[in-house]
Amino acid sequence: MYNCKDSINLLLEFLDGEMSAEEAQHVKEHLRGCSPCLDFLRTYRATPGLCKKALAAKMPKEVSEKLTEYLRSKIKSAS
Amino acid sequence: MSDEAAREEDRQLLERAQDGDVSAFEALVDAHRDKVYGLALRMTRSEADAAEITQDTFLSAYQHLKDFRGDAAFGSWVHRIAANHALMRLRHRRVAQAAEQELQGPEFTERGSLAEYPISDWSRDAEEKALDAELGTAIQQATDQLPQGYREVFLLKDVDGLSYEQIAETTGDSIPAIKSRLHRARLALREAIDDFYNRDSRGA
Repeated sequence: MYNCKDSINLLLEFLDGEMSAEEAQHVKEHLRGCSPCLDFLRTYRATPGLCKKALAAKMPKEVSEKLTEYLRSKIKSAS
Repeated sequence: MSDEAAREEDRQLLERAQDGDVSAFEALVDAHRDKVYGLALRMTRSEADAAEITQDTFLSAYQHLKDFRGDAAFGSWVHRIAANHALMRLRHRRVAQAAEQELQGPEFTERGSLAEYPISDWSRDAEEKALDAELGTAIQQATDQLPQGYREVFLLKDVDGLSYEQIAETTGDSIPAIKSRLHRARLALREAIDDFYNRDSRGA
């Protein structure tokens, strides 16, 4: 029987679906009986999405203008 | 536009660009520059470096257009080029590294039970469109504090969507090592977000 630590250590493989059926069964059994771990799994799974939003970046307009200019000059000189 | 439609449009633009149509190549740059710039900015944390990496990335994409077979999506191909350029820059830079033991994670009792039970389930907030600005800042800070090797893997996999195989090719690390770092980075970031949500209820 897995405890919280065993299950949390295996969350990445569990969510990737990359573990043996037996191991996955052990994790599932633990999660069924442990609501803190189930909450933990939900928040672990939500973490990348929240981070992705927090870290989103857009190229400033002047940088994209420079990029176009730079590529045009390089492409021109290559042809 | 759906992902599939965008990929189809990329495929058509790519074919034209490979035949020498510069405007088709520029359309590809337009479609992917924000993502490439974002990757470079997150990795290097420098706007100047990010701008240069974006230039280098698209220039090398242009120079290797003919070699690109189109068996992968154009977007993931330029992402890999950008990741390579960003990592090269980081390897040349000597930054004071956070020590590995500073990585936060959940604590367990001697019997292996969670020492602190999650107070709130904030997972649904991830589905909302807008992100609380303070939470955004807390996440940025927590990401900055990750040791370099953990940050890189987390950003490339979870934010920029590279596969384990692509990251292994780029960094030269083994896939098990990458997975283990990714897991620890996620735990540390989950902890930081959890601290943010519980900052009033847990007390300092």
